[in-house]
Amino acid sequence: MKEIKTLADLKKKQEEMRSRIKLRDSAENPESFVQVKVAMATCGIASGAKEVMEYFVDELDKRSIRAIVTQTGCMGYCYAEPTVEITLPGKDPIVFGYVTVKKAGDIIEHYIKEGELVDGIIPQNYNTIKS
Amino acid sequence: MVDMAMHMMDIAQNSIRGDAKNIHISFFEDCDSNILLFSVVDDGKGMSDEVLSRLDDPFFTTRTTRKVGLGIPLLKMTCEQGGGSLSVQSKEGFGTTVEATYRTDNPDCLPLGDIAGYLTMLLVANPHVRIRFSYKINSEEFMLDNAELSEQGIELLQPGVAGLIKTFIKENLEELYSYRTVKDFLC
Repeated sequence: MKEIKTLADLKKKQEEMRSRIKLRDSAENPESFVQVKVAMATCGIASGAKEVMEYFVDELDKRSIRAIVTQTGCMGYCYAEPTVEITLPGKDPIVFGYVTVKKAGDIIEHYIKEGELVDGIIPQNYNTIKS
Repeated sequence: MVDMAMHMMDIAQNSIRGDAKNIHISFFEDCDSNILLFSVVDDGKGMSDEVLSRLDDPFFTTRTTRKVGLGIPLLKMTCEQGGGSLSVQSKEGFGTTVEATYRTDNPDCLPLGDIAGYLTMLLVANPHVRIRFSYKINSEEFMLDNAELSEQGIELLQPGVAGLIKTFIKENLEELYSYRTVKDFLC
């Protein structure tokens, strides 16, 4: 990548990028976004959550999937870090554990794109069927 | 924690969890005295004296999801193993200041690590928190303020911009590192 030294350079690069990427309409409501929350507490950081988060940011951009990637605190599954909580539009959040970069690829490919569940789900929230 | 950047993310995450709206992260390297001062200042909800007094106890945490809290104890450990020190000041309702001192001439001093990467993630993940970052070596300084970025019309959440910001930070930091007048253990 060419040099980006000043804010002006940064701005210029951004403009270039904007013209290259077909700008997706911002009129969509955030509800239609995929939400990805990466656990970034001490346990997550120590297990490499940053690499996973960078991968999600880059990869979702590359694949033009409208998503919001954020960080969250420890969810209490330190043994299964890095953990990622994914909320598909209109669905309940699902927490995945042991998310390496490779696993993150699987999650994007199968869960985010196709809606198929993949290995490593931590059963965090489930509803009992009321009769 | 194997590098400074991880501590930066960890301590900043504490601030975010403490509902901070402004976070100021700063690094200051003084080549004459071989000291690196790393500090995170926030305006979050702060801590009571009781919590503050138990802060370096690894088996103390305010969380309910787990029984240990290792962030601050680990930071204290990495400072002290290299002859540095840690100080935390906090006032309930006003915010917290965490100041870690490292001796850069000590072989046990932590390496800096991927500051650009962690900082970018911090900015991208928390667009509603004002994050100011500064890295100073002697009298040379690099500053980044996400309020200034958005004033300039740089949208962090636009696809692809995260990569640009990372490059921007990285190139500036690398230039800054060349101003070091002594060889130290940071890189």
